[in-house]
Amino acid sequence: MTSNPITDFGEGIGKGLAKGLLEYSESKIKSLVNLFRENKLKFIGDRKTIEVAKETKKSGEWAFYKTYVSDSELLFNIRLGLLLRKVESDTDRLDNLKSKIRKKYGIKGLHIAYFVQNGVLNRYVAILLDNLDSTEKLKRKISDVLTNIEKHTIFVDSRYSERQLIKDSMTIAAHNPEIFIVSGIYSAAKIVRESKASIKELLKKYKLEEMITGMKEILFFKLII
Amino acid sequence: MELISLKEMSMPSKILLLKELGYGTDGEYVLDLEGNKVIDNYIEIPVRIDNMVILPGSTIILDDNEISIMKYMEDSGDDF
Repeated sequence: MTSNPITDFGEGIGKGLAKGLLEYSESKIKSLVNLFRENKLKFIGDRKTIEVAKETKKSGEWAFYKTYVSDSELLFNIRLGLLLRKVESDTDRLDNLKSKIRKKYGIKGLHIAYFVQNGVLNRYVAILLDNLDSTEKLKRKISDVLTNIEKHTIFVDSRYSERQLIKDSMTIAAHNPEIFIVSGIYSAAKIVRESKASIKELLKKYKLEEMITGMKEILFFKLII
Repeated sequence: MELISLKEMSMPSKILLLKELGYGTDGEYVLDLEGNKVIDNYIEIPVRIDNMVILPGSTIILDDNEISIMKYMEDSGDDF
């Protein structure tokens, strides 16, 4: 697709000044470009974007998963989850990033990011640690839950009915996963809360652990061995 | 390494900058020499002039968002 380039570079001169934006002369632009080409300068956007991007690598969580996840794509998905958590108080920024993650990484990539953002992966690992006897097994389990996230987790959305949630829970439980998760955030938390007793009653071979925080209702069903 | 924020640069200055680097704009998107919209290679969306970053390494023009910046940092080993 092509568009017509603007050729009138004089248009708008002075307009930036009114908004407190910086005007650069043609010679100054040339000198900036020279510095750029000598790798001495970068033209960035919002400084906060870079700060937030860098902060995703400054956490104990990141250090932990960097050690236990070797697949670079999965590791990047984890970082996306940490990113969503960093910006979750800024709804516009959060929605914008979620939409970009979905477009680039699909619904699965978004689910992995949610899984990390909402602390589900941390809790999952904590439950695993109760019964693990080797580092290699921990690595395999983390990789498996992320790679096959839809086989371990039901991401309940506002369109779910209690009946559908129970049906999906039974389908997942039929494969006897060691741990499976039902996650509801915001309006979906209510659906999870109202279905909890029925699911628990049907899945007698599972022990229920709950993670309830504000607008999140997350159920962990752990297979009784 | 000096950082210049394009958010603080006027539109005419941004247009001059793009021209000097061999790019153009239709007023909304960044265009290459053939008039095609420049695509952010990391998240595969056209780059808007009001939300662009320009990074070294054969002139990399990206959308200003954390995902693209994180990917650039990984690929280039550059941590700003």
